[in-house]
Amino acid sequence: MLTEAIFIAFFVIGIQLAVPLLLAALGELVQEKSGVLNIGIEGVMLIGAFTTAFVGIETGNPYLALLAGGFIGIACGIVLSFLYVYRGTDQIVTGLMFNIFAFGLTGTLHGLFLGGQVGPTLPATQIPVISDLRWLGPIIDQQNMMFYLGLMFMFFVYWAMQRTWWGLYARTAGERPLAAESGGLNVLRLRYPAVIVGSILSSLGGAALVLGTSGGFVPGMTAGRGFIALGVVVLARWKPMLVLIFAFAFGLTQGLQFLGGRLDTLSGIPPQFWTALPYVMTVVAVVFAPGSTYPAAVGIPYKRAGR
Amino acid sequence: MAFKELASGDSVWVRSILALIGTLTAMAVLVLALGANPFIVGKTIVLGSLGNKWVLAQTITVSGILILTALAASIPFSARLWNIGGEGQMTVGAIAAAVIGLLVPEQWPAWLAISMVMFLAMTSGAVWAVIPGWLKANFDASEIVTTLMLNFVAMALAAWVIFHVFPAGFVQRTKTILLTAKLPRPFEGWFVDIGIFFSVLAALIIWVVISKTRLGFSIRLIGANSRASKLAGIKTNSITIWTFLLAGAMAGLAGAIIVQGRDHALLQDFSANFGYIGIGVALVARLNPIAILGSAVVFAILRVGSNSLQAGAGLSPAVGEIIVATFVVLLMLTGVIRFQYPENPDAH
Repeated sequence: MLTEAIFIAFFVIGIQLAVPLLLAALGELVQEKSGVLNIGIEGVMLIGAFTTAFVGIETGNPYLALLAGGFIGIACGIVLSFLYVYRGTDQIVTGLMFNIFAFGLTGTLHGLFLGGQVGPTLPATQIPVISDLRWLGPIIDQQNMMFYLGLMFMFFVYWAMQRTWWGLYARTAGERPLAAESGGLNVLRLRYPAVIVGSILSSLGGAALVLGTSGGFVPGMTAGRGFIALGVVVLARWKPMLVLIFAFAFGLTQGLQFLGGRLDTLSGIPPQFWTALPYVMTVVAVVFAPGSTYPAAVGIPYKRAGR
Repeated sequence: MAFKELASGDSVWVRSILALIGTLTAMAVLVLALGANPFIVGKTIVLGSLGNKWVLAQTITVSGILILTALAASIPFSARLWNIGGEGQMTVGAIAAAVIGLLVPEQWPAWLAISMVMFLAMTSGAVWAVIPGWLKANFDASEIVTTLMLNFVAMALAAWVIFHVFPAGFVQRTKTILLTAKLPRPFEGWFVDIGIFFSVLAALIIWVVISKTRLGFSIRLIGANSRASKLAGIKTNSITIWTFLLAGAMAGLAGAIIVQGRDHALLQDFSANFGYIGIGVALVARLNPIAILGSAVVFAILRVGSNSLQAGAGLSPAVGEIIVATFVVLLMLTGVIRFQYPENPDAH
């Protein structure tokens, strides 16, 4: 029975760790589909995480904190789309610099306002029918509303990209911007909302990280998750359902650290091995992602004719 | 070159100065909003990096480190290959220097011990960088993701060496390396070692390589137009691997200089984001190895001076990162840093 409890705890933690990845990767997917490679999601997640922790600590209300985490995503999206889309700056350098900027800004604000304080976290959300299931019940029971929000956004992204005119137009902007423009679409106006919606999702990923753990902020707490999300998107071939599966796979890989410390058979392995494993997995994933090619116009700023 | 000269309008200098003024203004507003005095912040940074011979020595050492991490970014960037792994390659170089620095035979003369440790640290950094280079060349694996992921792997490796292989008791560092492997400090009473000499030499060598050799020509050609250079018969795959090898060797040398010159051991928090800031140094220098020498000094002043902000103005040293990022973005907005893209992405 002890091992069963350990395994349930492992899956609980693994899925908790997967939710931020899921949200960030969905956000990246929307942007890449429209032709913007946003390397800056790591920074967006950091800013989202900080804002969530800050509002949570100030108000004591995790729902207000979550809302603030979403709204700051809009602000990040506006800044980033001004640079990426309106000014057409190099997306890779801009994204990198945004990450450094976010690291500095959240680090500075953390030192001034938060220190080691912790805030409220979201309570676990129980759903009656699921709770009764063996194995699955106790695992899902421990998840907070971010888990359900993540699932909801997965369907939303699928619907928006595949089932709406806007999604079709945005995908055209990501594959054949000149053709889209010749067809009377405005590539820039398609990319703005994609970057903003994507940034909201990534920022919520940062919020999930805070609200699922201590409710507090630690400088650099995203620890490369934004970049793991980039790998997840490639591996999932820009398909929301596959993003869900691979985000869970990576969440569980991160959760192995917990398992490694609990099981006797694994006790000989140093903890640093488990820390490194998800990153190694991402490298392997990017290498072996079968038949995975970026949308054709990703990373190339679009300049309208005559500019 | 990946950079296009401005065809008309104001010169690069005017635009750079505009970007600088913009950065300073933005910083002043931010610092005021945070409730501190911008002039005190400015004064703290200058005095904290140049004010006495203790901090001046630190600034010189950090300049040397940043020159190398900037080269680790600029060489691949010239070929439009995005090496964000300077931090990890430097970490692996530092690990190698700390380990080899303990293992070299004690009876070896200093010159042999120093150069052996340095060479193996460079090799280790190069090997770490060739992994993503090779994966890029053979599997077209996004080097942005792979180089960054390997940074975290390198950090875990460093923690393992510090806590499990050569732990030095209760402090978060390895044992001190052999006396013969340490870089000499030639000036009496100054904590400046000869590391900066190697950094400047490396920048000059890389300048010659990039601007005067066949390899450098190929790198620049790939940066200007990857498809055309392939059609022109350049072996892009092997150039990619060579580019990463050179970059990794530079970052590895940075790790060696930190361990052999400054710390004399591998410390848990030995890097103040040197690998990432090196990217900013390289971009501000527009990837020119000679300009990197100057750009690195400016960023070193910022980095070392920021350490005094906590005591001097009640702000976190992380303010330095905000300034770096704002400056680079403004340089892009004013068109000082520009990139060329394929004219018609639809034609792919």
